[in-house]
Amino acid sequence: MRELSGKGLLIIDSLHEPDTKKPWSFKEKLLLGLAPREYLSQIMRNPLNWAMCIILALGVPLIVYRFVFGLGTVTHSSNDYPWGLFLGFGLFTMVPLSASGFLLGTTVELFGRRDFKPIERLALLNGLLGYLFAVIYLLVDLGQPWRLHYPMFVTWGTAAVLFLVGWHVAVYLTVQMMEVSEAFFEWANWPLAKLFIKRITIGLTVAGIILSTLHQGALGALFSYAPSKVHPLWYSAPYLWIFFFCSSIFAGLGMVIVVSTVVKKTMAWRCDDNFLENLDRLTIGLAKGASMAMVTYIALKLIGIAHDNEWAYLATGWGLWFMLEMAVGVIIPLILFSVSIRRNLAGLARFAAFMTVFGIVLNRLNTAIIAFNWNLYQEIPHIFEIIIAVTLFTIYIITYRFILYRLPVLYSWKPAPFREYSTAVEKSHFPGKEPAQAGVFRRTAK
Amino acid sequence: MKGITRRKFILAGMWGATAVIMNGKAAHGKADFEGYPEGMGVLVDLTRCVGCRTCEAACNNEQNLPVPDRPFYDQSVFDEVHHDGKQKRRTDENAYTVVNRYDAEGSEEAVYRKIQCNHCNEPACLTSCFVSAYTKTKEGAVIYNPKACVGCRNCMIACPFRIPAYTYSKALNPVIKKCIFCYDTRLVNGQPPACIEACPMEVLTFGHRDDLIKIAHERIRMHPDVYIDHLYGEREVGGTAWMYLSGVPFEQVGIDTTLQKDPILSNASEFLSNVPVVLAVWPALFMGFHLLATGDNRESGEENHEPERKEE
Amino acid sequence: MPCSRSTIFITIIFAIMSLMTILPERATGERGRIPTEIEIGSLAGLFGEVYFDHEMHLDLADTCSECHHHTLGSYVIDEDCARCHRESEPTEEVSCGGCHTADPFSAEYLKTKMEDPNLYHNDKPGLKAAYHLNCVACHREMGAPTGCQDCHERTAAGDSYYRADAMASGVGGTGKEH
Repeated sequence: MRELSGKGLLIIDSLHEPDTKKPWSFKEKLLLGLAPREYLSQIMRNPLNWAMCIILALGVPLIVYRFVFGLGTVTHSSNDYPWGLFLGFGLFTMVPLSASGFLLGTTVELFGRRDFKPIERLALLNGLLGYLFAVIYLLVDLGQPWRLHYPMFVTWGTAAVLFLVGWHVAVYLTVQMMEVSEAFFEWANWPLAKLFIKRITIGLTVAGIILSTLHQGALGALFSYAPSKVHPLWYSAPYLWIFFFCSSIFAGLGMVIVVSTVVKKTMAWRCDDNFLENLDRLTIGLAKGASMAMVTYIALKLIGIAHDNEWAYLATGWGLWFMLEMAVGVIIPLILFSVSIRRNLAGLARFAAFMTVFGIVLNRLNTAIIAFNWNLYQEIPHIFEIIIAVTLFTIYIITYRFILYRLPVLYSWKPAPFREYSTAVEKSHFPGKEPAQAGVFRRTAK
Repeated sequence: MKGITRRKFILAGMWGATAVIMNGKAAHGKADFEGYPEGMGVLVDLTRCVGCRTCEAACNNEQNLPVPDRPFYDQSVFDEVHHDGKQKRRTDENAYTVVNRYDAEGSEEAVYRKIQCNHCNEPACLTSCFVSAYTKTKEGAVIYNPKACVGCRNCMIACPFRIPAYTYSKALNPVIKKCIFCYDTRLVNGQPPACIEACPMEVLTFGHRDDLIKIAHERIRMHPDVYIDHLYGEREVGGTAWMYLSGVPFEQVGIDTTLQKDPILSNASEFLSNVPVVLAVWPALFMGFHLLATGDNRESGEENHEPERKEE
Repeated sequence: MPCSRSTIFITIIFAIMSLMTILPERATGERGRIPTEIEIGSLAGLFGEVYFDHEMHLDLADTCSECHHHTLGSYVIDEDCARCHRESEPTEEVSCGGCHTADPFSAEYLKTKMEDPNLYHNDKPGLKAAYHLNCVACHREMGAPTGCQDCHERTAAGDSYYRADAMASGVGGTGKEH
């Protein structure tokens, strides 16, 4: 794409072709303004696409295989290790990494930190896709995924933490879809729908905080059911849910930094100046938020160890592993974040964010798989299980990229070609109206 | 005193005010929950077991389980170990009960121990299930409804005894398989489970749980030289219907002696008790923050806090 | 011996009479009034009857109470029984099945079990367990055989119950890893 735009190709960032003033057709918008052949060749040129193609070629048949022949054929999930990578990574890791949606929503919409606006949509999209794929991982893992609606409509197990998780993730997914749909409505030119979403933004955001607080914590509380199985250093009946909630804050913020870094490196053509110019400042801002959560998390972890008097475990092999996780995933990134904030080094903050995300993956895998059954035996995931998990993640990346290429997430939707007119109208009658309202005015103007 | 009230509390957490109505319904009859008064139980006396595996055979016949690799009189299965010797045989989809042999210190004879669902008073599987697939019947059995099960396997995570097994091999209708106290075929008719009837040594004594506790303590009192002074399952994880007496320390026969006395659910109660707080407090709290943070923009209209992106 | 010879004699006669009439088990041959061989078959099913050489066991046992507890009025060795029954008269019933019910877990039995005024009898094993607990314990102690088929042959029904066909077919998987 970079090459193409360098050759003077237009990048669609408004409803209308600037020269002819014709509205872009749906097909044009979908193909990024390229002819089908150009679009294909653009895909073929990217070596990453080939790599992903190979992964899909391996993984998709395996997913089909899993549904035809059962979980037992592709996973090492067993009676002792009921949950493997699909939940250990797919659910328990994807969900905290997707906390970005509610965090940035709160920052921007509720706390009025407009300066974070350029990255808000990316954070919302990151949240939506993370949850969506967490559910997809879950569907692959469930014994009978076609009964997913049972806890909603058929038979209620109201006393279960998982019941709360199920409901909250379902509701929150809906909330996030509505939040992100604002960008979609701009792109699809449905201004009224967008207006409706804007009206309820505050409500959605507050709902997002409530749901997120509860289900991020609930994922931790799920493991409080297994006191004899999760290693004491990772277990704490009263605090496990706070650990999970608190770590989801820096997980979500770290993930936004990671994604924005990747985006800046790989699809700068799609980002507008507003995004690119503000990114370093925003990265440092996110790093500030993450480091506050990290300090809190470290304190909570210490309280957790002290509460159950688990100091002696620190001297064991598991203790070393625990301290390694804390060092690599929390303490070192925290130090790096602090340095980057003080010296204003966005690059360092980015590096720290990658470590943070890695640390979260490690923590969740530890709780769900590695330090689970610590006193029994170690289970290593089946190779097919790993391939399927990677395949689903690849589909996640493809979907992510597909949306970022199109919807106004990294850039704002320009109201051209009636820019002068519509902004004039906006300024006189509707101070502060979103530019995409232009669509409405264009029609009235005719 | 913990069970139903706690469950009610959680219900309240989920549904806030609406739960009050539901509580009213749930409160009927069973205010204090310490197992059902007419609940049956089994006393497993490990000092009596000779490892004949007749109980395994009985279970296999009663539950129409597949024919095993080796006949049930074959005692070579006791040499079976898995995962580098870290695990002896366990229950699975084809065996709802298994007997293992242990070489306990201070005991000349090998000690055998039967494993099966312990039918907790307040089962972790039941309280962790988000579709209510499990039921604790008034007879004491913990039964399972395969028609409700979604296959999340949270019950297997929650069970402190690692009992529920899953039919991972099935693609279309995988379900949990576990001992159900022969509920539908025997217990409802007042009959003891098949394994108990089959046991030649009466290792397994069937009766009202309350009576069994008295009998067990009487056995310990009469023969303090034979028994460890503990009835395993009387209080573990809130009490179980199946309880164990042993002549050797329990941990030497593969029994987890580190388990808490409170029901497993109580570990999640800390979190669940916070649910209604979050539901009630968060909206007002964060709306308050919102007004504080954006208050000065409000005069210029609801949507005025939209940034002026182009200029930024 | 606390009891006189005549008491024991009368007791034994009485005991044997009741044994003959009430017991399903059949005693064959007599040494005096004591059966020399007893065919224990009331519980036969998965395993065949036991031909119990009563005479031989009589010679091996120190006292009748090792098996018959206090029912013969003979010296009671079990201290727990002796607390009440040291001076007890012989009972009407001396056969195993007379006291140890074959159906110890039936709803009716369980209902009355704990109401037994004879406090220490509420943990009385059923008939099958009474046999096995007593026999196996002593056999172990004496170094006598303890295998199932050392005393009773497994029947065809027993073979199918214990899945004797498992070896041939080799399907299914008790004790598989997962």
